[in-house]
Amino acid sequence: MKQNTFFLMAGLIGLIEVGIFWLSVLLKESMLITIAFVVGILVIYIARRTISDKRDDERSALITQKAGARTLEVFWILFFAVSLGSLVMGFATPLGIQPPPKPFPRAPPDEPHIGYFGLLQMILLCCMAFLYIGFRIYYARKYGEWDDDEE
Amino acid sequence: MKNKIKVFRAMHDLTQEALAQEMGVARQTILAIEKGKYDPSLDLAFKIARRFGVSVDEMFTCWEQ
Repeated sequence: MKQNTFFLMAGLIGLIEVGIFWLSVLLKESMLITIAFVVGILVIYIARRTISDKRDDERSALITQKAGARTLEVFWILFFAVSLGSLVMGFATPLGIQPPPKPFPRAPPDEPHIGYFGLLQMILLCCMAFLYIGFRIYYARKYGEWDDDEE
Repeated sequence: MKNKIKVFRAMHDLTQEALAQEMGVARQTILAIEKGKYDPSLDLAFKIARRFGVSVDEMFTCWEQ
């Protein structure tokens, strides 16, 4: 598969995922988009292996590896901090930690604001993507990605 | 790490692109190695040295030396 065909296919899968997300909101079926997303990413990963005109070498692998490691190094702090804040919101009741409600375990709460936690996570993941791009640019510059040719 | 790739390329009348294709890497990688911005793996260093018929010692030297 050519690299451009792969990008077209990835874009198409992205559009399908948006459609499925909309459908799962309409059907109130969260498992639909969860499964569809995992399947979509798997298809993209498998298709990426079949690209024939990809020029990845050890230097680009090093850039990807370093950018990924540095992103995780920074991101876990951000993610942990926000999660701790959310935990405080969960536990901050006048009497401290409440006893488990009866009957236990109870059914998932039907409260739409819980879903907004997903929105917060999406924002964090977007931050992670921007962070990764930033580190990638930094390491690409460091390892001479855009250096001028002297020939 | 310093290297003499550019000198050997000139002696063999070889472009960066041609050498990169022979080594199976991108042209930018050869450029980055020549400029000392990227240290190649042992495998690539041996391949480059072998291509020009010299030893790795002859092709690459540490900055301290």
